[in-house]
Amino acid sequence: MTKLRIPASVWIAGLLAILVVYPFITNSQYQQHIMVMTLMAAITASSWNIIGGYTGYTSLGHAAFFGLGGYLVAWTHNHYGWHPFISAWFLAILVAVFACAMGWVALRTQGSAFVVVTIAGVFILRLLALNLSDITNGARGLTQPRPGWGGVPWSPELIKIPFHYIMLVLLCLTIFVSWRIRQSKFGMGLIAIREDEGKAESVGIDTMMYKVLAFGISSYFVAVAGGIYSYFFTFIDPSFVFGIFTSVTMVLMAILGGRGTLWGPVLGAFIMQPLSDWIIGEFGGTQIHLTVFGGILLLVMLFMPNGILPTLTEFLDRRTKARKASADSNPA
Amino acid sequence: MTIPSFHLFVQTLILGVLVGGVYALMASGLTLIFGVMRVINVAHGAFLILGAYITYVLFQNFQIDPIASILITIPIFFVIGWLLQRYMLSRIANPEQTSVLVTFALALVMEGLLGIIFQTTARSVTPSYTSAALMFATYRFPVTRLMGFGIALLIILLLYLILQYTNLGRAIRATTQDPRAAQLMGINTSMISAFTFALGVATAAAGGALLSIIYSFNPSSQSDWIARTLSIIVLGGLGSIPGALIAALILGVMEQMTAIVVTLYWSPIVFYFFLFITLIIRPQGLMGEIIREKG
Repeated sequence: MTKLRIPASVWIAGLLAILVVYPFITNSQYQQHIMVMTLMAAITASSWNIIGGYTGYTSLGHAAFFGLGGYLVAWTHNHYGWHPFISAWFLAILVAVFACAMGWVALRTQGSAFVVVTIAGVFILRLLALNLSDITNGARGLTQPRPGWGGVPWSPELIKIPFHYIMLVLLCLTIFVSWRIRQSKFGMGLIAIREDEGKAESVGIDTMMYKVLAFGISSYFVAVAGGIYSYFFTFIDPSFVFGIFTSVTMVLMAILGGRGTLWGPVLGAFIMQPLSDWIIGEFGGTQIHLTVFGGILLLVMLFMPNGILPTLTEFLDRRTKARKASADSNPA
Repeated sequence: MTIPSFHLFVQTLILGVLVGGVYALMASGLTLIFGVMRVINVAHGAFLILGAYITYVLFQNFQIDPIASILITIPIFFVIGWLLQRYMLSRIANPEQTSVLVTFALALVMEGLLGIIFQTTARSVTPSYTSAALMFATYRFPVTRLMGFGIALLIILLLYLILQYTNLGRAIRATTQDPRAAQLMGINTSMISAFTFALGVATAAAGGALLSIIYSFNPSSQSDWIARTLSIIVLGGLGSIPGALIAALILGVMEQMTAIVVTLYWSPIVFYFFLFITLIIRPQGLMGEIIREKG
């Protein structure tokens, strides 16, 4: 039996086409808003995956880069009038440099200790954001003028659309970079580090260099997304962006979909972000949100630690193999 | 920035040492668990806060003294810890890598549930001696902190005696040094793991009770406490209880000093600062083994 197999490129083109026309399918502000947030979640989860998935270093510190990107964009927008849609891309380079420096210290540790250090990194930045109130306006956070271009604010009905497209472009770029890394020698090196760091080093991989670079790259897209986020909400406050929960959502999405796979983090984001918005809409408070997210993370870690995509692939493989075996044993 | 007078300096030192003792108790369970199981129990902060809330409920509803309530909460926490290890942590594959996320998820669930039950209002337990203080040569010794320090030292001493002089303690230490060899010597290491985890969680019951009379707390304070205790055990050397004791005293004093010299708001940064410095200069901490383990 030959089944018509749809090539991956057709799938991707089809999904992309849906995302491109999405703002014209629905004119509900709420649905457009959720899609912008989902795209953003997919960006951060995919970006996290470069260090957390390929390299196997579970960073809970990526909220730091998200928040830094957000603060830099908000601050330069307010002081120099730099437009976030442009400045976010450049300011994120600064964040990536900072991430490399932080990684240089943090990546000396492994396993649990690494997680702890990255958590500490987020706490430090939160303290700085709370206390350097001359720059950050402390706990009250930074506000920005209403989104627009050239001094003209966008009309409230269309305001989500520019954000939809810039997030979409950023997501495509993130996935492209993630895909290229996976194909490259660099990516092979990262996976080798995940599998056995000692052996990777002994075959001549400069593991420290690789890890720091992966950490830097994975911080870049998160920082750009943070910058655009701060403009989207025209507000950024330290306890959210520099909160561990922001890091955890990225990790949860990547793990749920399948860490170390190209599409897993995207899948995870498209499941968790709408769910998250639904919970907030339905139950309001953050406490139920926290419980559900923690609960899902717990269940995934206990019962499906590889995530949806690898589990599904394994299941399908086994089924085709079984079918083949039964076909071989009963020749027609 | 203000330079404190000599009197203020000594007073701060006293408060720092007293609070450091409580920190040592809080961190001891965490470092004990790491030593035996190579698991960092990120839910430790949440257990401290859970302990504080149970103490709060017992005090508000049944007028049970927060110190006395430790006798009730320790057995409860011991059982919880035992069950968690037997039925959850022991099932995960590759615990060194994934246990952090599992216990982290547990912490989030606990924080969320505590928030649903108790709301996010800051609470504290206020027995009659809350604001009482002993004076000694013009220096103030707040009663709650003195009691906290005393109880903490007592429990750490008890922990030390268990580890040093009982068969169980010997088995735990053997498992810490070399789990495989311990198993070959006939030690039931999975039982030891469950016992150690239960013991570690039980110390959080006592830590939580002390926390509740010294500090105010709400469910989200768990992240502050896990950050503090983690910094302490990294500085002390993961797995080393004496290391944790020294590190807790150092950080307790440094925190109080920062609060006086700079402001209260900056004092938590002491912990993270020390954490990073430790990792750069001496990754194995003051007394521990090297954190960086080659695969």
